[in-house]
Amino acid sequence: MSTGVVQNEQYRNSQKRKDTFISIFIGIFAFVWIFPILWTIWTSLRPYNDIISYGIFSWPRRLTFDNYINAINEMEIGKYLLNSLIVTVPSVILTLFFGSLVAFVVTRYKYKFNLTLLLLFTAGNMLPIVLTYIPVFWMFIWVGELFGNRNLLYNNYGGLILVHVGFQVGFATFVLSSYMKTIPKEISESATIDGANVFRHYWNVILPLLRPALAALSVLMTTWIYNEFFWALVLMSDDSKRPITSALRRLQGQYVTDFNLLAAGAIIAASPTVIMFFVLRKQFIAGLTLGSTKG
Amino acid sequence: MSEEKNVVSRRSVLKGAAIGGAALAAGGALTTESASAATRLKGSTVKWTTRGGGATGDKIAKAVNDAFTKKTGAKVVAQQVNSDDFQNNFAQIMQGSPDDAFGWMAGYRSNHFGEMGLLADLTREINRLKSTLPTAAIKGSTSPVSKKPYILPTTYYPWALHYRKSMVKDLGMNPESINTWDDFVKLMTLTQKKGLVGYSLGAKGGWEAMGTFDILNARVNGYKYHIDLLNGRAKWTDARTKETFKYFAQLIPFMNDNVMDISWDGMRDLLLQKKTGAMMMGSWFANDFKAKSQADYDDLWVVPFPQINPKFGRDTIDAPLDGISVAANGKNVDGGKALAEFWASPEGIKEAVKAGDTNIYVSKSFDTSSYDAFNKQKLAVLASAQNIMFFLDRDARGDFAGPVVGPAIQNFIKKPADINKILENVQAQWDALPKN
Amino acid sequence: MKTAATIKKNRSRRSLSKTDRFTLATFVGIPTLLQIILLWVPAVVTVILSFTYWNGIRLKDIQWAGIQNYKNIFFNNPLFYQALKNNGIWLAFFVLIATPLGILLAYQIDRGIKGHAFYESIYYLPVVLSLAVIGIIWNFMLQPGGFVQGLMGRDIGNAISIYGDPKINTWVILGIASWRHIGYIMLLYLSGLKSVDPALKEAAAIDGATEWQIFRKIILPTMQPVNIIIVVITLIESLRAFDLVYIIYGSPTIFPLLNLLVFQNFAGQGISMKGAAYAVILLLLCIVPIITYLRISFKEDLK
Repeated sequence: MSTGVVQNEQYRNSQKRKDTFISIFIGIFAFVWIFPILWTIWTSLRPYNDIISYGIFSWPRRLTFDNYINAINEMEIGKYLLNSLIVTVPSVILTLFFGSLVAFVVTRYKYKFNLTLLLLFTAGNMLPIVLTYIPVFWMFIWVGELFGNRNLLYNNYGGLILVHVGFQVGFATFVLSSYMKTIPKEISESATIDGANVFRHYWNVILPLLRPALAALSVLMTTWIYNEFFWALVLMSDDSKRPITSALRRLQGQYVTDFNLLAAGAIIAASPTVIMFFVLRKQFIAGLTLGSTKG
Repeated sequence: MSEEKNVVSRRSVLKGAAIGGAALAAGGALTTESASAATRLKGSTVKWTTRGGGATGDKIAKAVNDAFTKKTGAKVVAQQVNSDDFQNNFAQIMQGSPDDAFGWMAGYRSNHFGEMGLLADLTREINRLKSTLPTAAIKGSTSPVSKKPYILPTTYYPWALHYRKSMVKDLGMNPESINTWDDFVKLMTLTQKKGLVGYSLGAKGGWEAMGTFDILNARVNGYKYHIDLLNGRAKWTDARTKETFKYFAQLIPFMNDNVMDISWDGMRDLLLQKKTGAMMMGSWFANDFKAKSQADYDDLWVVPFPQINPKFGRDTIDAPLDGISVAANGKNVDGGKALAEFWASPEGIKEAVKAGDTNIYVSKSFDTSSYDAFNKQKLAVLASAQNIMFFLDRDARGDFAGPVVGPAIQNFIKKPADINKILENVQAQWDALPKN
Repeated sequence: MKTAATIKKNRSRRSLSKTDRFTLATFVGIPTLLQIILLWVPAVVTVILSFTYWNGIRLKDIQWAGIQNYKNIFFNNPLFYQALKNNGIWLAFFVLIATPLGILLAYQIDRGIKGHAFYESIYYLPVVLSLAVIGIIWNFMLQPGGFVQGLMGRDIGNAISIYGDPKINTWVILGIASWRHIGYIMLLYLSGLKSVDPALKEAAAIDGATEWQIFRKIILPTMQPVNIIIVVITLIESLRAFDLVYIIYGSPTIFPLLNLLVFQNFAGQGISMKGAAYAVILLLLCIVPIITYLRISFKEDLK
């Protein structure tokens, strides 16, 4: 018996040493990991003239938020952030709404096409988008011409929202349907027996139960849609309408030598999702795992 | 194909500018046509795109657009866009909801999209400006297929050999007499011996190195052969083409190590920081030298690329022609045409120059008498050539120049020994292009 | 005599009134229509266009090309093979190095080392950033005049060729992509690891099993569903890589990649339907992982 205890203790001690070693290693690795971001923040806090005169490694003579103020003014970052808001919020709401609708039908009602639909939606989310960029552009123009207004969908917030929803609804459907499968059938049955029609079944009975999944998914969706930048480059010719992530392209070219200003702009652009991640971490992780480990 | 006729002998283009032709009165009186335009446009909005240019570009645009507004009462809404993105998405932008007028490039880029119906026909406007523009400029702006102009020519610049006079003098050479290939090689060799870059090139974008190829081919094989090559009448696998690349290969040992990492601005910086002996480039970057210091600007010099084959001397030059185009799908095509005409007119040019535009204008009204030494040299370089090309990616079709020739030259620079294989491949890709 | 259950079932079937059926139809119909129009129709259009010659502007200019575009790609285009090679390297790197690193990270963090919540956040941070921002951040690090060059004491004039040197630039882009991918995998795996019974691990440890044995014999099997998801995600992400490379390298001439080739030929200044052909090839490559994912995720439903 005693040897067992001693073995345990030795094992635990060696484990502890291993753990400390690993902790230190992971700690250092984490610093290296986050260093590029730290460097960018550092760059954004240094005045441009310092870098020009003394080089990028020089000891700071002063740190300043000037770059941020200039970024907001010169680069009109406020305008672009607003654009991001205008595009992201409706996209997320619509995606979750449509996703829940399809998941609702497919899990609560027996239809032959249920599985096919699910497959279609899930596969759709995994297509390489590259092959849809230009055909969607053509489609938008063509539909616009049909209705006499080229800007019906092209160069229009609505068009951009539409593509985001179209592309993300597959994932939302997939996640919500696997979540809904865990809602007991009895709830739906009693609702139908109580005389609820389909709509009330959805709105009053199921939807409230989806809250945790919706919360988790919304955090995820907001991050993805906010971060996406390419669609706006293809579908928006007015630079002033583009979300901040897409506008960074133009800003990067225009301010290519003004590192510090660009760094400040990038940090501002990154802030919303980073802040959301830190504040809503649990929901974020829940959203990811909902989709990948089937509840 | 249609592009070949773009590149005709345009000596008269130079005549107009270099000799500083008959200077028309800068503030032209309103003709009856433009007077009615003024009333027609009053209160309407015209949208303008500035293609790159940073703060200076915006300043120049504001000056010209404000003057236009004062003259016609039409409001101008301007935006600046990333030049590469604009070019790369041009077909999409033009089919979507483009701004009404913008700076664009003559050659394939305006002819092709004009023939496709995406650029407005500017015949009327160019006729009104006829007296101020050299015939060759008008011809260079006109599509040989549809016989219509889709661009109003404004500026052009030479692609030529740039170096710093002080550095050349330090090597014991005369900056005024870099004339032959041997002179050139000597310059590069001596520069390299000092531990600097002999010949700087930034090929990151794929198009920059075309300037070197163009001029080498024109020097070795002549202007006609080069145009034939770009239009499929001569072969890339021909021994003459290979000869050009043999000369190109001679340059490679003198190049900077990071050729694929930098673009034209990196090349400019190398010269600015006195780290390189010479480079082939368009002269637009001179403004940046001036911005750094007058001394740097005074030190800058440009000459035609040295002679290789005495049969051809230095008779050819790449001198891309830029101008103003009008989008056919813009909301206010009328206003766009009027704005474009204003930009290309003596009035508009005067405003641009006042606001700091240092480009050379083809307009006969353009007064070059107050030109500084460097700009006078630029004119001289332009004037010395009999044949003008626009640049490979404006003289050859778009689905060949960028996707095929650009990478081919890049691959050649990375691995010069592969040249035969590379050329066979380029020829095969030319042969595979749909030809109608 | 009908049972209570059958009565219930019949009643719930019959209670689907016309309005109900209409509601259901709209519920399903609108999202499906959206998906089909915005995703599947363009995909089909692309496939069809890959058999034509067209410059993308006027419909009347479309000409039938048969398999000419494909022939051109396969026989005349060295860039294509370079791209395939790069896609392959990307795939191999993700499967053999990046994903295992993510798993390793998850495993170590899961063991409850101090401050693991903090580390989770740090490692995951790159995933939360937009690729546009990541492009800027890494440009600061790598471009001539940037951090890494400065460390080596080189300025613009003699900067080492990072982007242009094919020996280096592959590792550079893979590094940046992994920077993101590892965090993503780590988080996925971490949450799965939480479902492994710690008592099992302890018991095995006491019985003298090494860590590696514990990992292989206890953890890995429990994580079966997660493992497969992770493999498929790795495959798909490596085939889809586009935004990041577009931002960092711009054109396929520096770092050929299938998606870049699609875009350069489909959009850009020299539009040709070679882009569509490239897209179809890419699609074909993606089909295997997609179908695998579908079969696994819907295993029970498909039975």
